[in-house]
Amino acid sequence: MLLPRIFAPVRASPHTSSIISIPTTHVLAVLRTANGASTPVSGSASTPFLSFTRHASHQAQGRANGAKDGPGKRLGAKKSGGEYVIPGNIIFRQRGTAWFPGENCKFGRDHCVFATESGYVRYYRDPFRHPKRQYIGVALKKEDTLPYPRNAARRRRLNMVTAEYEPQPEPPTIEEQVVAGDLQIAEGMAKDAKPVQNLVMGKGYAYREANWDIGRAAERANVQVKEFVPGDRWAAWRKSQARREANIEKKKLRNAGKKTKPAKARKRG
Amino acid sequence: MAPSVRQFGACLRCVRQSAGANASLSGAPRRFLSSTPVTREEMQSQPSTPPPPSPPPAATPAAPAEAETAAKETPEYMQKWGNLDPEQVEWKRDERRLVRREGIQPVGSRRRRAVLHRSALNGAEQVPFEQLPYQCFQEARKVLLEDRQEKMKEIETMTLRINNLQAQGPAVSGSILAKEARLRSMRNHLNELILLADINDPMVKKRFEDGEGDMNKPIYRYLADQKWRKYKRLILEQRITQLNIVPDLLPALNPIADVDLGFGRKNVSPGEFVDSAISEKMPRLTVQTFQPGEKLVTVVVVDADVPVPEKDSFTYRCHFIASNILISPMQTSIPLQRIEQEDRKTKDTAARKIALPWTVPWAHKGAPYHRLAVFVLDQNEAKALNVVDIRKTKRDDFILRSFIDKHKLNPIGFSLFRTQWDDSMAGVMERAGLKDEIKVEFKRKRIEPLPHKRRTERMR
Repeated sequence: MLLPRIFAPVRASPHTSSIISIPTTHVLAVLRTANGASTPVSGSASTPFLSFTRHASHQAQGRANGAKDGPGKRLGAKKSGGEYVIPGNIIFRQRGTAWFPGENCKFGRDHCVFATESGYVRYYRDPFRHPKRQYIGVALKKEDTLPYPRNAARRRRLNMVTAEYEPQPEPPTIEEQVVAGDLQIAEGMAKDAKPVQNLVMGKGYAYREANWDIGRAAERANVQVKEFVPGDRWAAWRKSQARREANIEKKKLRNAGKKTKPAKARKRG
Repeated sequence: MAPSVRQFGACLRCVRQSAGANASLSGAPRRFLSSTPVTREEMQSQPSTPPPPSPPPAATPAAPAEAETAAKETPEYMQKWGNLDPEQVEWKRDERRLVRREGIQPVGSRRRRAVLHRSALNGAEQVPFEQLPYQCFQEARKVLLEDRQEKMKEIETMTLRINNLQAQGPAVSGSILAKEARLRSMRNHLNELILLADINDPMVKKRFEDGEGDMNKPIYRYLADQKWRKYKRLILEQRITQLNIVPDLLPALNPIADVDLGFGRKNVSPGEFVDSAISEKMPRLTVQTFQPGEKLVTVVVVDADVPVPEKDSFTYRCHFIASNILISPMQTSIPLQRIEQEDRKTKDTAARKIALPWTVPWAHKGAPYHRLAVFVLDQNEAKALNVVDIRKTKRDDFILRSFIDKHKLNPIGFSLFRTQWDDSMAGVMERAGLKDEIKVEFKRKRIEPLPHKRRTERMR
């Protein structure tokens, strides 16, 4: 609606360049958007609305084709072929995967290759494993060559030593444990209860009775239970009825202590 | 229309809309998808291949006797459950009761059982599977039957040609080698034709899925093999490579028989950690072969990770060897416990099957896990091995490769489980007479750091 009227002076603008008086700055902004930012409105060159456009083809500042010579990253071989390494030694640092970890080696998080066994570094190819890759491995013996024969049993080290081990026959009972002064168990309880034998580590690192031991509590206390007869609906009904009644009783007790809700009271009033 | 027909909602479009068909629907006897073999039975007869000898499984004659005793012992509340038909059990509860009381699994899907049950309740007699009144179905059956006839004809000509070639002198057919090669390829083609004749039969498919397939027939063996290769064998293959069974114990392994491993009631999937208390007793094996004929197999259990701290390496230990065990596609079970009991009764030491009795798998505290590999090895030409000879095999430093080479065995089946130190291990080892080993614990060896380079003045 408004646009055609605005366009008219713009179309004329190249011819009558600086003569036109522009009514308001607002209209000028509209004009700029309508005609593109490069409208040759010479009178408005100093206006705050004019700004440069950056095109992809031209870089305003900095070196023309990007920085070429950053600091070196110290990549490359850290251990040469045949050198002795221990587990964790980095053998090769690289960007990407020019070398792959072979026998007794692994990739680090930046594709560096490190040793997982102590031995002698070998740089090799394994066409059966992959036709194009080059591998870095650690041979366990100095005279070994990699890759090891394909179908032979793996050569591996135990890397362990034997030690004396005293099997603990019984875990410590509560009674043996040192109890802080104010945390002592009531004497009566402690005497009634059977000393807790089988302790397991529970959640939160606290020792507790094992589940199977808890399950045996009734057996220890000589509790006699009626034998469960599957399909005995009469017994089942009586049991569920008793439970239902008990629940109703409990509900009554709970509700007795409660005050009536204020909202309801308002309604009544 | 009877309500039971509504069950086939998807197929209603196929129902022939002629008056005659409707009449048959209302009046004629009905039997939906019943699995009872009717006229189809003759369809599965193999005209060319003689069925391999199938010794009747020992369980079948024993089953009725067991059932009788069970009936006597059935408690009163179980008798109240009434008659439970495995083909018509519809509710979960009834399925459970069937398994509990009769010890039978229900047949097929619950949906199918429901349909059968409803139609039985309606008093409708069942239509044989072939006569189901769906036009598409009937047309498709015609095509399939035609195809089958064609295949049967081809089988006949092929057998005839094979017989002719066999009768031919080697001079006529080129050389002996050429004749044999031709015969082999012809037999292969014949076997393929036999499979193709039955593979599209819906009844065959149904019977296989219900677990009622007769493994003496090539088609069911083929289907079972395909099923095994689609899931279980892939997992097994994965475990073989992941757990490095292949370079460590054998140079190559191509399992062709399905081996199920279990201890008592617990099934063990390949590579699972088994509690030492559970693996104290011998395992039970179920070996399903997919090739016709009987085989004599040797079962070997090897521990592939026995630590040798003196040499800072590992070695092998043999835990069990049993030889001359008969298996066939129908005879899949290898109950090692029972074999052991039978061995005790036999006086002749050469006739015994177990060469090296079971020793418990055990591991030191702190030691890396032990892989216990169970191999089923096919004996050469089904010849019995000399058990007395095998008994001399040493358990420690047992090399499976040389054992296989020595006795000309061929690995056909494989399974494995793992074991490591657990709470019950000390007791198990004590009972096995390894009390000294309980006290040994394995700890990681400290790795000496590399010597530092002397720091020079420049480096500071």
